[in-house]
Amino acid sequence: MAHPRRVLLASVALLTSLGLLPVPAAAQDRTMVMAMVTTPRGFDPDIWVPGQIESSVNVYEGLTRFATRQGANGRPEVDPGRVEPHLAESWTVSEDGKEYVFRIRPGMMSPFGNELTSADVVWTFEKSNAQRRTGLFIRNVARIESVEAVSRYEVRFRLRDANRIFLSALTLHIPALFDSTEAKKHATAEDPFATRWLGSNTAGFGPYHVESVQPGQQAVFVVNRGYQLGQPFHTRVVWREVPSPATRVALVRTGQVHYAEQIPLQQIVDLRRDRRIRVESVAAPGSATVRMNPASPPFDDVRVRRAIAYATDYNAIGEAVFLGLGTRSRSMLNPPIPGAIDAYTYDTDYDRARALLAEAGHPNGLDITLEYSTNWWWEEPLALQMQASLARAGIRLTPKRIPATEMTARRAIRVWSLPMMTHLTSSFVPDPSYNMFLTAHSRGGSNVNGNNNPELDRLIDASVVERDDAKWLEMIAEAQRVQAESATFIETFLPGTHEVFVSCMEGFMWRPHNRLVWKDLACRR
Amino acid sequence: MSVGHFLLRRLVVAVPVALGILFVTFMLVRIGDQDPVAMLAGPMADAPMLERIRAELMLDQPLLTQFWAYLQRLVQGDLGRSWQGNAPVTHEIAAHLPATLELVTLAVGLGALIGVPLGLRAAERPNGWFDQVSRFGSLFGFSLPTYWLGLMAIFVFFYLLGWAPAPMGRVSMMVTPPPPVTGSVLIDSLLAGNWEAARSAAEQLVLPVACFTIVATAPIIKHTRAIAIEVMGSDYIRYARACGFPRNLVRRIALRAALVPVITFVGSEFTSLLAAASLIEFVFAWGGLGHWGLNAILLGDFAAVQGYVLTLAIASVIVFALVDLAVMLLEPRAQARA
Repeated sequence: MAHPRRVLLASVALLTSLGLLPVPAAAQDRTMVMAMVTTPRGFDPDIWVPGQIESSVNVYEGLTRFATRQGANGRPEVDPGRVEPHLAESWTVSEDGKEYVFRIRPGMMSPFGNELTSADVVWTFEKSNAQRRTGLFIRNVARIESVEAVSRYEVRFRLRDANRIFLSALTLHIPALFDSTEAKKHATAEDPFATRWLGSNTAGFGPYHVESVQPGQQAVFVVNRGYQLGQPFHTRVVWREVPSPATRVALVRTGQVHYAEQIPLQQIVDLRRDRRIRVESVAAPGSATVRMNPASPPFDDVRVRRAIAYATDYNAIGEAVFLGLGTRSRSMLNPPIPGAIDAYTYDTDYDRARALLAEAGHPNGLDITLEYSTNWWWEEPLALQMQASLARAGIRLTPKRIPATEMTARRAIRVWSLPMMTHLTSSFVPDPSYNMFLTAHSRGGSNVNGNNNPELDRLIDASVVERDDAKWLEMIAEAQRVQAESATFIETFLPGTHEVFVSCMEGFMWRPHNRLVWKDLACRR
Repeated sequence: MSVGHFLLRRLVVAVPVALGILFVTFMLVRIGDQDPVAMLAGPMADAPMLERIRAELMLDQPLLTQFWAYLQRLVQGDLGRSWQGNAPVTHEIAAHLPATLELVTLAVGLGALIGVPLGLRAAERPNGWFDQVSRFGSLFGFSLPTYWLGLMAIFVFFYLLGWAPAPMGRVSMMVTPPPPVTGSVLIDSLLAGNWEAARSAAEQLVLPVACFTIVATAPIIKHTRAIAIEVMGSDYIRYARACGFPRNLVRRIALRAALVPVITFVGSEFTSLLAAASLIEFVFAWGGLGHWGLNAILLGDFAAVQGYVLTLAIASVIVFALVDLAVMLLEPRAQARA
């Protein structure tokens, strides 16, 4: 006769296999399906191609991360003011703030079974140096002079100057921390850093790695079983290419997918009323601006720029363009960036705009062209709304649509051939000095309008290296006021981030890179 | 003239045509406004970075030098790398083309099966009730924007009624796809004896093929009707009628006479729909060549655009060669002329 315990175990196994008993959570394969605009066109964080950042932030993680805090709604949120260890377990900093030694957390494994060591960190920075793309830019912004291995688990960073940006920059997925042991297997004499292989494969120490890609169809990511910083709820992520936004909405509404990317704002209004849907909205990360090149007439006259700031109908933009879902931008820095103040005090005042124009020698108004592209959905409606509101102050604005590639080329540093353009001010690092440097400093990487204000440059430069918090905050406030007075940016609204999930999805937390972090999410029905 | 000789002549004619198309495409994408360098460099690029990438891609060279280098690679079967896809263009085309061919072949095939008999029947009694109805149907098919038709089909049959599967590609996520042989999921599933995948692939095909068939059928009805009316009014048909031939025999004679221009038109319809598949593919997340080509154009992926246009050109040459072959077999006079 069979042993009763064996009979019980066999019965449980049978019932489980038939789906009549719940499977223990740890053993379950949980799949998250996402309707995305396009399948990833590449995975090398140094190369900007569609879908790359969305996947890279889930594959590559940094030595540091932003701390979290309790938000106003009782849910955890990122605290951009505090950086804490992540793949590194600790760090020490020299007296002058120019030398950091990080101790890497032992046991951080890649999906290929290799442990993260200082050699991987050094290799990563060497790769970015050789490629001379985005990683090198981040390295320069963080003023990193050298990266060297001290021991298997210790790596030393020497900085050109002590600065506040450095630790925040190490939270990023660029330069990515690669599994150099695996990557080197795919290196060739022509391609010593295996960039071609890393373009179509992943080798990181983050929670996921790519399993397969069918271009135009789907990409499948699976969990990195060696990831030691909390196993994600979803063990598999299926990234389906669904280019049509209407189809993405239909799919999420019927529960066929857990998440739908880039849903138009008009649909967001409807979806908020649908009980099957969870819309997570955050007033971040960037501000929709109109920028003027201060070296290009008539914008070389600050009175003209201020007149435009006063002739802008902010209420109409909020209602007609952002459908009441945006947040008014009051500075070149906006929350959650620490130190943001309400420096941009311009409100709609047509009389004042006309007076300023007359003072600047344009009593009969003037003709200007606003160039915009299709990089962001709001550009065209904003340009049309600006045309309507500026007309009321006698400014005849002609909106001109240009290809996105032309926009990128013409606004490049030291090219600056756009006198007036639409632009989204945003960055991956919520550090005020970094943001101001990036967007408004004459040498900033995202200074798209040729901003060139020596007083502002001086304040930003000083804030980057200032280590006294009180003085630092004062410099940041003053820089925001100086920029607002110069009025080279017309600050309109923060369009916000509106992520659309099925109602069971919990755990969303907005991150400064403004991409979905899959390990945060869980479907709890 | 033998079939082999005929195909050889076609090939000889096709080479300069393809070269001409390549040259025009090559120059057009480069003299346009698009600058892939800026796209590749990312938003934080500075002028030296842009120049460096431009040099890496040879875009700083004179256009004719670039074209010569492209031709040299082309004769070795190298269409270049897709800058946005990080893969050889030949691989990308091989991955996307079968999806579009599957869609267009089914749509045009069904369109011909429906459109030709309807057009012939309508031509028998011009302005009769059947002609009026079929003309209205044809006008309806002409007038509907493909994109809107696809969205409405999804809304009604997937969202409201729940009859159609989720419009997410060519096979359900819950099904293990068959190993690729022909590239058509349906055929490959049948070859592999994977009935579950075959059923899923067939289900996924229903809505996009139905929408595309409506688009394909409308012009086939219209042209077949016009051709058949002309044939029906011809002397030999009138003579056949006057001789008191049975109605079916007259119809057969008319069909035979109309078949040559109808086949030619269906061939041209196939090539034009191959190029127009992008919108249906966009709506149904089909992952075909049309949507891939459209993306390449929008993103300034020059190598991919050239590969896309070259593929369409080669497909046109093949389709028209097949059409001519069919005409040769059906119409001995054409063979004599050739």
